Amino acid sequence: MNTAPPVPPALTPANETVAIVRISPLRETFRLFVQNPTGMIGACLFGMILLLTLFGPTLYEIDPFDIAGAPFTSPDAEYWFGTDYLGRDILAGILVGGRATLTVGAVAAIITLAIGIAMGSLSGFFGGMLDTTLMKITEFFQVLPTLLFAMVLVTLFGASLQTITLAIGVVSWTGVARLTRAEFLRIRELDYVKAATAAGAGSSYTILRVILPNALPPIIVAAAFAIGISILFEGGMSFLGLGDPNVMSWGMMIGQNRNYALDAWWVVVMPGAAIFLAVLSISLIGDGINDALNPRLRKR
Amino acid sequence: MSAILDIKNLTVTLQQSPGVVPVLENLSFSVKAGKTIALVGESGCGKSMTALAIMGLLPDGFQIAGGSIALEGQDVAKLPGDALRQLRGNRMSMIFQEPMTALNPVYTVGDQISEALRLHQGLSRQTARERAIAMLRAVQIPAPERRIDAYPHQLSGGMRQRVMIAMALACRPRLLIADEPTTALDVTVQAQIFDLLREMQQDIGTAIVLITHDLSAVADITDEVAVLYAGRCIEQGPTATILNQPQHPYTRGLIASVPHLRLGLAAAQPSEALEEIPGMVPGLGKRGPLCGFAPRCRYSAGPCLEAPPPTTGTGSHQVACWHPQGEAA
Repeated sequence: MNTAPPVPPALTPANETVAIVRISPLRETFRLFVQNPTGMIGACLFGMILLLTLFGPTLYEIDPFDIAGAPFTSPDAEYWFGTDYLGRDILAGILVGGRATLTVGAVAAIITLAIGIAMGSLSGFFGGMLDTTLMKITEFFQVLPTLLFAMVLVTLFGASLQTITLAIGVVSWTGVARLTRAEFLRIRELDYVKAATAAGAGSSYTILRVILPNALPPIIVAAAFAIGISILFEGGMSFLGLGDPNVMSWGMMIGQNRNYALDAWWVVVMPGAAIFLAVLSISLIGDGINDALNPRLRKR
Repeated sequence: MSAILDIKNLTVTLQQSPGVVPVLENLSFSVKAGKTIALVGESGCGKSMTALAIMGLLPDGFQIAGGSIALEGQDVAKLPGDALRQLRGNRMSMIFQEPMTALNPVYTVGDQISEALRLHQGLSRQTARERAIAMLRAVQIPAPERRIDAYPHQLSGGMRQRVMIAMALACRPRLLIADEPTTALDVTVQAQIFDLLREMQQDIGTAIVLITHDLSAVADITDEVAVLYAGRCIEQGPTATILNQPQHPYTRGLIASVPHLRLGLAAAQPSEALEEIPGMVPGLGKRGPLCGFAPRCRYSAGPCLEAPPPTTGTGSHQVACWHPQGEAA
């Protein structure tokens, strides 16, 4: 018995060692993202900003609207980032203001994506008259100067955080819509979509479960940039005095202090740097995702 | 046994700016349960259009202008979209030519097979997964319990075509349309896939419409052949008859254009020139009522250029030609 020769492995093809690891495209993208220095720098930076805005105000308990010291105190040991023209602590303003700025950015980006994906996917999938109609609407929004249009909306409906967020979302979805439409037009013609139709998939199933997951990569990248752009937008509107006066935000800090920028640089540079770093970190993340999704960079 | 698929006088037209152009004309054939019919012909003859018409998936601009497509007695050509969708993937399904691109890259093959089962048969996630594993085993994929979690890019072309077959047959359809299922695969895998199709057919009793230009496959697994030319069926009959006693000059030309492997002594002789059929299939809109093949046909003369060819034949073997080449040749 024990002298029986072992079966050569080549003769047992059925028992070949098949190591099927469930490498989902999503996980693969994540792995590539983590290996990408650009994306990781962005992610770390953004993580820090997020932590500071989340927990900063609890650790640094100064009301950003309170007069904390003499106006235009330059940055020193007591006021790390100095005080503004009313003597308010700029560090406290940045920590608290980040919440509003980042929330507006995120929510506006979600609105941008929701409108853009809905318009783009319907337009690209169904084509014909619906496509023409939806694209005319998109063009209508595209030819309006976005900042001006957003300002008109905010002026009409009042300067609250909600209207500002909504206004930013409503004026900036056109790019996402066009991108989604282009992806749908491309993917719609692919064999696996036809195969899904031949297997009995209906329109909504095909749009949501077959085409959209395959169209997501460029949309995810666009989403990252949409957050950055929305933050800039919020800053721009607040700078022009259209921010919500009851809520501290980075843009509002710059806007209220802009007349004193030449005398006390820190009053605008500090919140400006906060906006810069936040947008930079998000852009880096977007670049990182873009690289991770680029099939040519995949080693396979 | 009654026919699963019974197509009668199917006419498909394309709406173009100058008018309506026929794509398929008066096509009739039927397939019984467990039987296979081959649609053969050059590219542009209307084979794939026939398949799409049956599935109700004709592209924009194409429409069924006449005739009926009966699936188990139900005319699918007249069904509304919703009812048709219920049939697709359930009672009739389709295998595509390109296994490399016909699977969705973002889902595992298991998800894709289970999806049809859950959609059409209302199975739970767990049951559907078990059935999907069983299907993968049935199409002879090794280690199906593990392959079920593989993504399409992790499988070879032959494997993917097996997955496609598993997907198409998961709901045990009555009719399977295979549109050149092996064109993209290498020869040994082709043979395996045809064997597999035949085995699965015996198992489930599915009727198969095989679209191909691989005449060896036709000889291998089909019971009947319909030869299409420029949107018309020019010759139709049992596979053995068609291949051994083709009557239409076009069918004869097709068969003569297949190279034969010669072994033994014959292999040493210089090979003969392969026959060819001169010319091209006439384009859409350039097809008159006369025999579409006449301009390319070496026998065309007299009546060929004056009137449409009559359909003649004995029993199940039908040919549309003025000069059938039958026994004379």
